[in-house]
Amino acid sequence: MAENIGIRVHNLRKTFQRGRVQACRNVNLQLAEGALMVLLGPSGCGKTTTLRCIAGLEQPDNDDAIWVKGRNITRLQPKDRNLAFVFQDTALFPHLSIRRNISFGLDMHKTYGRSERRRRVNEVAELLHVEDLLERKPHEVSGGQAQRVALGRAIVMEPDAFLLDEPLANLDAALRVEMRTEIKRIQKHLGITTIFVTHDQEEALSLGDVIAVMRDGEVQQVGTSHEIYHYPVNFFVATFIGSPPLNCLPCHVQTDNGALNLASQAFRLPLEAAGGTASLRDHGEIMLGIRPESIAIAPERPDTVAARVSLIEPLGSRTIVILEAEGVELRALVQGETSVREGEAVHLRLDLGRAFFFDNAGNRL
Amino acid sequence: MAMHTRRATLTPKVLSYSGLAVVLLIVLIPYGYIALTAFKPAEEIFDVRWLPRVWSLDAWRYAIEFEQFHVYIYNSMIAGLGAAVLALCVAVPGAYVFGRKQFRGKDVMFYIIVMALLFPFVLLVVPFTILWVKIGLYDTMPGLWLAYQVFIIPFAIWILRAYFAELPRFLEECAMVYGCTAFKAFWRVMLPLAKPIITSLMFLAFLVGWNDFLFSNMLTTGQGPRTASVIIYVSAVGGERVEWDVLMVMTLMAGIPPVLLYILAQGQFLKTFAVRSY
Ligand SMILES: Nc1ncnc2c1ncn2[C@@H]1O[C@H](COP(=O)(O)OP(=O)(O)OP(=O)(O)O)[C@@H](O)[C@H]1O
Ligand SMILES: [Mg+2]
Repeated sequence: MAENIGIRVHNLRKTFQRGRVQACRNVNLQLAEGALMVLLGPSGCGKTTTLRCIAGLEQPDNDDAIWVKGRNITRLQPKDRNLAFVFQDTALFPHLSIRRNISFGLDMHKTYGRSERRRRVNEVAELLHVEDLLERKPHEVSGGQAQRVALGRAIVMEPDAFLLDEPLANLDAALRVEMRTEIKRIQKHLGITTIFVTHDQEEALSLGDVIAVMRDGEVQQVGTSHEIYHYPVNFFVATFIGSPPLNCLPCHVQTDNGALNLASQAFRLPLEAAGGTASLRDHGEIMLGIRPESIAIAPERPDTVAARVSLIEPLGSRTIVILEAEGVELRALVQGETSVREGEAVHLRLDLGRAFFFDNAGNRL
Repeated sequence: MAMHTRRATLTPKVLSYSGLAVVLLIVLIPYGYIALTAFKPAEEIFDVRWLPRVWSLDAWRYAIEFEQFHVYIYNSMIAGLGAAVLALCVAVPGAYVFGRKQFRGKDVMFYIIVMALLFPFVLLVVPFTILWVKIGLYDTMPGLWLAYQVFIIPFAIWILRAYFAELPRFLEECAMVYGCTAFKAFWRVMLPLAKPIITSLMFLAFLVGWNDFLFSNMLTTGQGPRTASVIIYVSAVGGERVEWDVLMVMTLMAGIPPVLLYILAQGQFLKTFAVRSY
């Protein structure tokens, strides 16, 4: 490996209640020093458990699970790992002032003298715009400020990595977007390896250099926002990412006079357009997944699908058109506003070249 | 309209204040009478009147110079403080473990400890006396401290366990991530958070030692660390004649230290830390 590896999670297994609950089945992650990885997945998929194992708050089942900067730290005490964890619930110490909260890690390690610690706290407080709050107690600051302070407490330690477990989940929407940008800015500025856990896909897509999608204690796919969105490896990733969600239609592949056709309840379309069609030949029943932006309203042609507009959801810059074709519901995303009306009969062009096909097991074909 | 709303808020206020005043009087009248009687000369004791005709310090002089009552007050003080400190050393770590750690037999052990509270202590007095004589704790201060714990520790563990159990787990974990050992996290974070309730429990433990008669009477002799409550009892029922004025002085002297202590610790009782999550 050319780049230095910041954090490596290797075949991480973690079970609870004597193996009855498998929180992490086999998690493998690798991220370069200074990179920002987002762990994304539905509730209960093991994101927090993975992060807690990295921080040392849970003991993994296997001995060689956690590596930081090439060192196996699986069995080290949390305090000896030099990793900073930011909890979803701001874990500020209620009995300490904001200043003492931020300097907590420094005070415990005593690497620096008193005045140096003070200087570092001031510096971080300025970076996070909480310098005016330093003498207050945690209950005297707002939720957003408290979360900044929690970040400050992490930053001031100059840790080998930040582990952030849904740090923005309890903030209101506007603040969340603002803090998200800020976290990314600070992370780039400091160049500290970071794992950010979220179940909010928008947050994940906008934040991560790399996104790891998890499900049921396993990593499904690791990739950039672009890769995850446009090249999902399986049905789960494809449906989990994307808003409005992916259109899913059970189809079967038919061969008529040597030409491949894709048939469903609502349509029958020639498959030439779709790349790699040959591989589809061997599959009968498949699942078609098509993103709403790959469906366009178009003039009638042999390869269009007849549908009726059932609902229009304007989003300002874009519009979601909900359509019904022979009992199948489809969503189309169009730029700007649309001239079609609810109840109108229209024709749809499905861009099969950008569609996904999945086999019965949910793997992408 | 304005009248109406003022009335509506005023009436409950007046009612609650007069209610409080009645309660206060019920408490204060006997104390007031005790305080004033302590300054009456012996011949005025049975006069039913509030203020003494002649203010006299005879009873005070007698209580201190003859009865040496201040020595017993001192004994009570040591008994109470020792009981509180000992209780703290055992109950705080104990409650913490019961509240926050998982181990086999935890629930059973906890119920056994709490069950000790239901046991009538009077039944323990005789076995304790025999045992204390055997192991050399009879008529010693540590013997008293230890005996009081039969009641104090289960009670303190019971109260503190619930408190520790409710403190959010992530505070402790956070401390550990930021450089604390498990013990240091307890010491630097959990303990300060529990300070108000620990102070209250220490005060209660002190009162147990201060007020106790049962063990103090049986486990000490006149030569040993006899406490004030025993002396008061002996003066009230012991002799051929009850010196009421002296008894009043003793009661007063025994009543003041807890009040002072309460006033000192009061700030702590009221302080609670808002453990907030956003
Ligand atoms: N201490 C525990 N004891 C038993 N089961 C646990 C424990 N901690 C987690 N689990 C289980 O492990 C699984 C993964 O939990 P985890 O908290 O990692 O999920 P998550 O991905 O963080 O979810 P969320 O998005 O809701 O925070 C869940 O099924 C959970 O019930
Ligand atoms: Mg979680």
